[in-house]
Amino acid sequence: MEAPPVTVMPVTGGTINMMEYLLQGSVLDQSLESLLHRLRGLCDNMEPESFADHELVYLLKGQQGNPFMLRARRSLLHPTAPWHLRYLGQPEVGDKSRHALVRNCVDVAASHSLPDFLNEMGFRMDHEFVAKGQVFRKGAMKVVVSKLLRVLASGNTENTEPMSLSYLVELSVLAPAGQDTVSEDMRSFAEQLKPLVHLEKIDPKRLM
Amino acid sequence: MSGGPAVRVSIESQCERQVQEVSLDGLETYVPPLSMSQNLAKLAHREPRSQPEPEEDEGVWGVFYCGAAALERSYVVFSRFDSASVQTPQVFQLISKKKSLATAAQLLLKGAEKLTKSLAENQEQRRQRDFNSELLRLRSQWKLRKLGHKILGDLSYRSAGSLFPHHGTFEVIKNTDIDLDKKVPDDYCPLNVQIPSDLEGSAYIKVSIQKQSADIGDLGTVSLFRRQPKAKPASQMWHLKLEAAQNVLLCKEIFAQLSREAVQIKSQIPHIVVKNQILSQPFPGLQLSISLCHSTGEKKIQRASPDKSKPDDHLYVLEHNLHQLIREFHKQTLSSVVMPHPASSPFGHKRLRLAGPMAYDKAEISSLQQSEGLLEKIIKQAKHIFLRSRTARTIDSLASRIEDPQIQAHWSNINSVYESSVKVLITSQGYEQICKSIQLQLNIGVEQIRVVHRDGRVVTLSHQEQELQDFLLSQMSQHQVHAVQQLAKVMGWHVLSFSNHVGLGPIESIGNASAITVASPSGEHTISVRNGPESGCKVLVQFPRSQAKELLKSDVLQEGRWTHLRGPYREVHWGRMEGRNFVYKMELLMAALTPCP
Repeated sequence: MEAPPVTVMPVTGGTINMMEYLLQGSVLDQSLESLLHRLRGLCDNMEPESFADHELVYLLKGQQGNPFMLRARRSLLHPTAPWHLRYLGQPEVGDKSRHALVRNCVDVAASHSLPDFLNEMGFRMDHEFVAKGQVFRKGAMKVVVSKLLRVLASGNTENTEPMSLSYLVELSVLAPAGQDTVSEDMRSFAEQLKPLVHLEKIDPKRLM
Repeated sequence: MSGGPAVRVSIESQCERQVQEVSLDGLETYVPPLSMSQNLAKLAHREPRSQPEPEEDEGVWGVFYCGAAALERSYVVFSRFDSASVQTPQVFQLISKKKSLATAAQLLLKGAEKLTKSLAENQEQRRQRDFNSELLRLRSQWKLRKLGHKILGDLSYRSAGSLFPHHGTFEVIKNTDIDLDKKVPDDYCPLNVQIPSDLEGSAYIKVSIQKQSADIGDLGTVSLFRRQPKAKPASQMWHLKLEAAQNVLLCKEIFAQLSREAVQIKSQIPHIVVKNQILSQPFPGLQLSISLCHSTGEKKIQRASPDKSKPDDHLYVLEHNLHQLIREFHKQTLSSVVMPHPASSPFGHKRLRLAGPMAYDKAEISSLQQSEGLLEKIIKQAKHIFLRSRTARTIDSLASRIEDPQIQAHWSNINSVYESSVKVLITSQGYEQICKSIQLQLNIGVEQIRVVHRDGRVVTLSHQEQELQDFLLSQMSQHQVHAVQQLAKVMGWHVLSFSNHVGLGPIESIGNASAITVASPSGEHTISVRNGPESGCKVLVQFPRSQAKELLKSDVLQEGRWTHLRGPYREVHWGRMEGRNFVYKMELLMAALTPCP
């Protein structure tokens, strides 16, 4: 049997093997200001960057097993910026002593025809939401403080209502596979944010 | 009981005062009541009774009563007590004295102990307060964090956008063990910092341009620390220590970046990195050396050749620019252009994010990336500085060497790091308003000089010094001929012919000769001038035929009017002409050839 053509071979290396290290936590609305103050002091010296994004989650239901999930996200403040398509793999079950949630992550920028393309490919939109908040950075670490809003009418991002009375705080780093010092740095940074917010690794499977 | 008629009843109180007299109409005069002192005197003189009357005031009056009674010697007698009359045995005296002294001493000691304890507490508190106030000052300027019971700080530029992998952590040490009773040294500070050992001392980046050293084996021995550091004691103020350490870190980062680029960038003449020096060749025959000079200040710096003191050719401007460039580089990592929109995308320049959707090819992507590194930028700046200084030197040497015509240079105040400009005027002294046709604008770039002439011609000169010099010399010779043209207008002479580049006569090695012929108002005389940069000027005058003695009389010319035509030329001995410069001499000549009416 002849070897399959090159295009069928899986792509390895480059940005495919990036891992996302993640820690999550939440704060109530009334404690947001003090958290933002603390983050401004701890993170790199920049003007705080606000964002408003609209995220759509697409599922491809195959015949067997789990549906394949892709997340498509666009910026509402910068309508001309490209869409961002993201695949997040299963969290790695490494040793329990690792402080952050580690999962494979593939990030791709896409043009504005992305939703149509995904529909043509067979994906169906499962749910959508709007996230508004601020982004901070410290070196390679990214801290995102966001308020999640429910979209009432599909496709209409003006009409939204908050899902809860709190803000979601996520600390994430994108690094190539195998760098475990990253989780140490994340943990020490998370220590500095206590007791305003407790960032810990939350396994998404346990929430299902 | 009611019923009966009301009966009026009169009541009279008992008389309290004695009646002194009763007047004839029945009015009673009472004795005025006694004042207090009179009352007291009366009581004192009264007959004693068993108890004093209770109606008098007690307390104070009791004392007075006692004193008064003592004076009367009736009841109380004051008598002297004589202590010397008491005789006790000496042993008892000693014991009692000892006991009393011991009790007194104990009391005093207890008091002193309490005092010293409180003083010590105060001192300790003061030391702690001093330490805390110093810590507060430190915190207001530097980033600190607590790790266990250690206080660590960060003096690196990472929070400002640097990607240098040095940790830059310093430790804050309490220095409160000092005994405040002894003399406190002048530079005592309750707070001390411990900086990483490789950041001790001070450093700077030395950038200099030299003529190329002939022997390549000389490399690596050159860069000595020129600036002698002052003798710094170990207990320096913490802010000086921290600033010096931060400067050392920045210099290391700059040098690391430069050497990385020196190795990676492919250029025609490769850059050499030797120990703490980077050498490159901006122009042939010239060497640019960038070196990191770091001294720890502990041992005396060995000078390889103490008597040969090189002039300090350190270009401070370039060192400052290097610092600025690295800070610019830091700021770029922190600019909001890098922040992700939408928030889930990775950090990166926002234009690069479009590379995928817009299907950029390699050329477009490389045009988006940072094209020039630190080293290339600093080499360009060094080239420009060198070219500018050499241009200035050329113009100045010409100006001092040649007096006629004069060359003036007006440098513009506002320049960029890669471009400067100077306006060069060639004039004749005394005739600046008339002869101002040669005005050159020189734009000095990185490798070339662009000359814009007043009449619009643009000439590009290379970095060679000789080219500029030759060009200026040729312009000066052209100026003389232009000056004659302008002078002729003023004097009323007519220009018969004018050429900037004559094709006749000997060939000049620099530029071309120019020539002009002007005729007097009456038409009787003409002056022809040929001026070349190398051959100098040649002036010929044409006289009318009637004044020419060497002409043979012939029969061809019948009428006398033909003698008014101009005849042969005669050369003027220009060197023997009176006048301080060419144009002045020309004016005198023209005046001499124009007879008064």
